[in-house]
Amino acid sequence: MSVRVAGLKFAYPKFSLRVEGLAFETAKVTAIVGPNGAGKTTLLKCIGAVLPIPKGSVSVNGRDLAALKSRERARLVCYVPQEHDTTFNYTVSDFVLMGRAAYISPFALPSHEDAGSAAEALDFVGLSNYTDRAISELSSGERRLVLIARALAQQSDILLMDEPTTFLDPKHETELFQLIRKLAVERMKTILVTLHSLEMAVQHSDQMVFMKGGEVVAHGKSAEIFEDSLLERVYDMKMKVVDWEGRKIVLR
Amino acid sequence: MSGQKNSRARGLAIFLLVLPLFLFLISLGIGSYGISPRGLFTAVLSVISPDSHPGVPAAYRDILLRIRLPRVLLAMAVGAALSVSGASLQALFKNPLVNEYILGISSGAAFGAALSLVFLGRAFPPQVAGFIFAVVAVGAVLLISGKGESHFISLLLTGIIVTAFFSALLSLVEFFASPYVLQALFFWLMGSLSLASWMDLYISLPLIAVGLVILYLLRWRLNVLSMSDEEARSLGVNVLREKILVIAATTLITAAATAIVGIIGWLGFIVPHLVRMMFGADNRRVVPLSAALGASLMMIADDIIRGVSSFEIPIGIFTSLVGIPIFLVLLKKTRKVWL
Repeated sequence: MSVRVAGLKFAYPKFSLRVEGLAFETAKVTAIVGPNGAGKTTLLKCIGAVLPIPKGSVSVNGRDLAALKSRERARLVCYVPQEHDTTFNYTVSDFVLMGRAAYISPFALPSHEDAGSAAEALDFVGLSNYTDRAISELSSGERRLVLIARALAQQSDILLMDEPTTFLDPKHETELFQLIRKLAVERMKTILVTLHSLEMAVQHSDQMVFMKGGEVVAHGKSAEIFEDSLLERVYDMKMKVVDWEGRKIVLR
Repeated sequence: MSGQKNSRARGLAIFLLVLPLFLFLISLGIGSYGISPRGLFTAVLSVISPDSHPGVPAAYRDILLRIRLPRVLLAMAVGAALSVSGASLQALFKNPLVNEYILGISSGAAFGAALSLVFLGRAFPPQVAGFIFAVVAVGAVLLISGKGESHFISLLLTGIIVTAFFSALLSLVEFFASPYVLQALFFWLMGSLSLASWMDLYISLPLIAVGLVILYLLRWRLNVLSMSDEEARSLGVNVLREKILVIAATTLITAAATAIVGIIGWLGFIVPHLVRMMFGADNRRVVPLSAALGASLMMIADDIIRGVSSFEIPIGIFTSLVGIPIFLVLLKKTRKVWL
């Protein structure tokens, strides 16, 4: 599924987001990077219609997302929040099952097929033994995986992940990116990820979007645009990109 | 081990679901005029077929039909209604401390019902004005508190203010009431089942039933609505529409209950917590089991009030006296993570 963003404008009282045009292709991973307050999460939420867009449009395969009903939209796009802070301590399986809400009438209960989809999603992220565990008993990394499993149960073709690797150790960070790549390649998902780790972003994405002050500064293929001058311009500090065993490392 | 735990939970759930029926039969026999199980059985048979049991005292039939049956039915309905209302509101507002009282629903309904009783008399159903002012009160709380990170604090403060406002209006109504009506109002406001009549039930029971059915059908959806609004929206929920539906159903059942029994505190607060402690947070279980446990506890409370002493303590006072210590224990035990 291809995603097109055109003439997007969104404003908070002290911040505004302006995006002229962006495109994201099927089975590709796009990393959205930039300093704090650049508008990465706001862009993601606007694309996912979590925030209403006053101006501009986000379309998926030519269909305007704003014109779709909540359920139809959720079957196309899924927003995965940074962290889930639930008041109530659901079990992992109950939590992942909520990913099926777009397929179930408000007055109905999940079917066996819905439970099967949730179990399959948990299996994909390697948590099939966690079904009866309470969410509060999980580590940060496991909780991220549960959020991704819920997104998989939702079966939408576009995944918007907001800083999925925050607070993860390097091992879990790498494993999570391998999972994201697997989702793009095996499940043909269009994946957008906001990130702070520039090395991880360039290593694991096909495309990058650099943001600053609510605007897109640059976007393109990761390997092509990841340069010293662009990083310095976006982060307002001296930075140098060096190649090490085929990987890009940022010195600062 | 997990299987053993599950089968124990299933057994306990079945027990809780059957308990109201058992208590219903027992409660019919309890009161200042005690009726033995045998006497109760023959009285029921004589009601069904008066000719087959001519020896049954007429007093038995009168007590059963005119006093006990409406009262016990009302206790069941109100207990279930307030407990399901509490469970639904706690899920909807993602906060285990929310209940119909905090949201101003109870005070709005109490004012509306009192206004109706004082100025329109018993001929006009107090449920109508109760519902209208309950909607006004909860609408005011939600509109004024707005949204934001400190939403619950804002909601709590607005709830306190709106409740205080409607309490002041209620005092104003009491000021204009005649001494006789004032006495009845005073007793009713403390929460009482003693005035239960079939007329009240004819109006309130269908309203409570409609609200309960809506919330029962929405029980799984309440899980999704207990996520943040952004998450729920991303999961495909029309958040505004479904929130309005849940609030309308809870307001309807609270107003219908409050209009005839006054303000019954703490039941809607505590019962969902007890159920979550026993069966987990999934509202597919929390909603029906809260209804069963709420109905049971209300009947037990009423049985104690009727059976222990010759004078009746208003049930609202009784539920508060028992409920507050239970709540404090729960608060200490569960702290941050609410089951």
